[in-house]
Amino acid sequence: MSTRLFAALVVALLAVSGCGGSSGDSDPKTLKLWHYEDPDSAMGKAWAAAIAKFEEKHPGVKVAFEEKGFEQIQKTAPMVLNSNEAPDILEYNKGNATTGLLSRQGLLADLSEQVSGRGWDKLMAPNLKTTSQYDERGVMGSGKWFGIPNYAEYVTVYYNKDMFAARGVAVPKTFAEFTAAMDAFVAAGVTPLAVGGGEYPAQQVLYQLALSKADRAWVDRYQRYTGDVDFHDAAWTYGATTFADWVAKKYISPEASGVKAEDMGLSFIQGKFPIMVSGSWWQGRVAAGATGFQWGSFLWPGNKLNAGSSGNQWVVPAGSKNKDLAYDFIDITLSPEIQDVLREAGGIPISPGGTPSTDPAAKALNDDFDTLAKNDGLAYYPDWPAPGYYDVMVSATQKLITGTASPSQVLDELAKPYAENRANIGG
Amino acid sequence: MATVHARREPGRYLVLIGLVALAGLMLVPFAIVVLNAVKAPADYAANGPLSLPQEVRIQGIVDFWQRVDFGRKLVNSALIAGSVAVLAVVVSVLNAYALGIGRIKGRLWVLVLFLIANTLPQEALVYPLYYLFKQVDLYDTRLGVVIVFTIVQAAFGTYLLSSTFVAFPREILEAARIDGANKWQVLVRIVVPISRPTLGVLFVFFFIWTWNEFFIPLVLLVSADNQTVPVALGVLQGQRLMDATTTSASALLGIIPAVAFFLIFQRTLTRGLTAGAVK
Repeated sequence: MSTRLFAALVVALLAVSGCGGSSGDSDPKTLKLWHYEDPDSAMGKAWAAAIAKFEEKHPGVKVAFEEKGFEQIQKTAPMVLNSNEAPDILEYNKGNATTGLLSRQGLLADLSEQVSGRGWDKLMAPNLKTTSQYDERGVMGSGKWFGIPNYAEYVTVYYNKDMFAARGVAVPKTFAEFTAAMDAFVAAGVTPLAVGGGEYPAQQVLYQLALSKADRAWVDRYQRYTGDVDFHDAAWTYGATTFADWVAKKYISPEASGVKAEDMGLSFIQGKFPIMVSGSWWQGRVAAGATGFQWGSFLWPGNKLNAGSSGNQWVVPAGSKNKDLAYDFIDITLSPEIQDVLREAGGIPISPGGTPSTDPAAKALNDDFDTLAKNDGLAYYPDWPAPGYYDVMVSATQKLITGTASPSQVLDELAKPYAENRANIGG
Repeated sequence: MATVHARREPGRYLVLIGLVALAGLMLVPFAIVVLNAVKAPADYAANGPLSLPQEVRIQGIVDFWQRVDFGRKLVNSALIAGSVAVLAVVVSVLNAYALGIGRIKGRLWVLVLFLIANTLPQEALVYPLYYLFKQVDLYDTRLGVVIVFTIVQAAFGTYLLSSTFVAFPREILEAARIDGANKWQVLVRIVVPISRPTLGVLFVFFFIWTWNEFFIPLVLLVSADNQTVPVALGVLQGQRLMDATTTSASALLGIIPAVAFFLIFQRTLTRGLTAGAVK
């Protein structure tokens, strides 16, 4: 490379990279919108329809949509929202460590006035509102409104109808029937439960078991810090010992300890397990992938409380220059038309239109959700209460699966970080 | 003679077999990425990640390209990595000339300082950079990222070049001075041409390292128009679900440019690595 060429290259590169410029100025004719859902997912499809409808209703206004990575939003949201590059509206995770934290830092617009003015609160089951409201400590459950969800999700039981029929097992209505069904598969040499011990699925099974002996006050104490939490109380003890018992009875394979959620789902979709206990977010994947057998879902039998919550929500940054347009957009996403698009694509809308879905699997999923919502049955997720608690839960349930720690030791392991976090936030 | 041969041959073959096996092992992840990139999602769901695709399907790659406007990301990455590679080599040469050949006072401490700067984790740099760049309007600009990585890479380059320049043949430098060359002429006419193979290697490494950077571009480049290839690949990281075939397609698209660049410049690389070996 000659010196002259080299110099020319430097100048050229600098010139081009210099002209990048920032585009911080907000144009009243564009709504800058970010979300991180796959375009083929239920939310991705519904929101694409919402954008089209918004532009139709607001002639001359363009929606500048940018698809972001989940990780990017998680890592950089506080920084971006504190700068001129913030969008006018974005999808964000619900919970104390995410929306709660941003609201405490004053980075989010208070939506309370819009909520009552436009009647958004009337569309939601009381259970779902919990993750939308945050107090001045950033703790969910009360205070001002900072986020509006479009959809809900909950932990359900997916089952392989063909495998159930081959062993003559009926859909269980009670917990006893549930374990009896699993016994039937074990007797036939089939491991009944697909579980991913390396990620979130195992802790949700543990939580479902604990919830069967719990009540609403127990959930509030645990999730919203309304009182002391004892990890050796009846519910937790039952959850951990029953989980260990299920491993001993071969409902869960010891090999499940290292299995990722993705591989768990794939093994169910390939028809290797008759039952998978996991979130409704699998609906679209199972529907698209499980073509070799009949499948369905049923509610975890015998529980009044069930893991689940509202989905991620729309938040409006405090610095948004087009707040009114952002509110209009949220209103459109909550309209029956868009909510039905969401349902038909495999999601659970929070305020569906009058006509039920024609797809039996979607109908069952949504009907089960209605049952939960009506009975005040959503108990959120076990890893919510403390930052970094997810990894604690994963490690604890792995020990239950491999049998390297007793249920009592595992509960001690769960108690310590929880207590530390409670002390930190002064709960 | 015959005995020497007999003793040598089996050993050589063993080494060769070992190396081939190792190379094969290194290529396995790459092969899996390629396999799944051209697999239909239904095929993946039915047969898992390790099966051969039933038919080659490039739709996943095309879809991903359009979804993230991949052409734009390629331009951004090439601009940033190219600018950084050129600028960092220039800065490294200037620094190393002063430190290694000029032998300024306290050069050991300057080098230690560079080394420390080099070992700083990027997570520690991110917040100060964010606040600084916001003040001077460099937040969410490619120029900002170019400046950061020029400094980060030049710190390493200075360290490396200084130690090679210390061993630069003094006779050549003295001969040049006797011929009337000033310091600038010594640098441009003598030092740079002689160490060109080393500079070539640095250039290639700086380019590839900068190309693969994820964290700082993730934080500093907010808008989609400014983002680089690795950040664009992050778009597929879902919260709970993973789209394996599209992820593989994107990974394939992400690796190809770096591999292509490496292949184009590999002669520079081998020349640089063997430069000191031949007298």
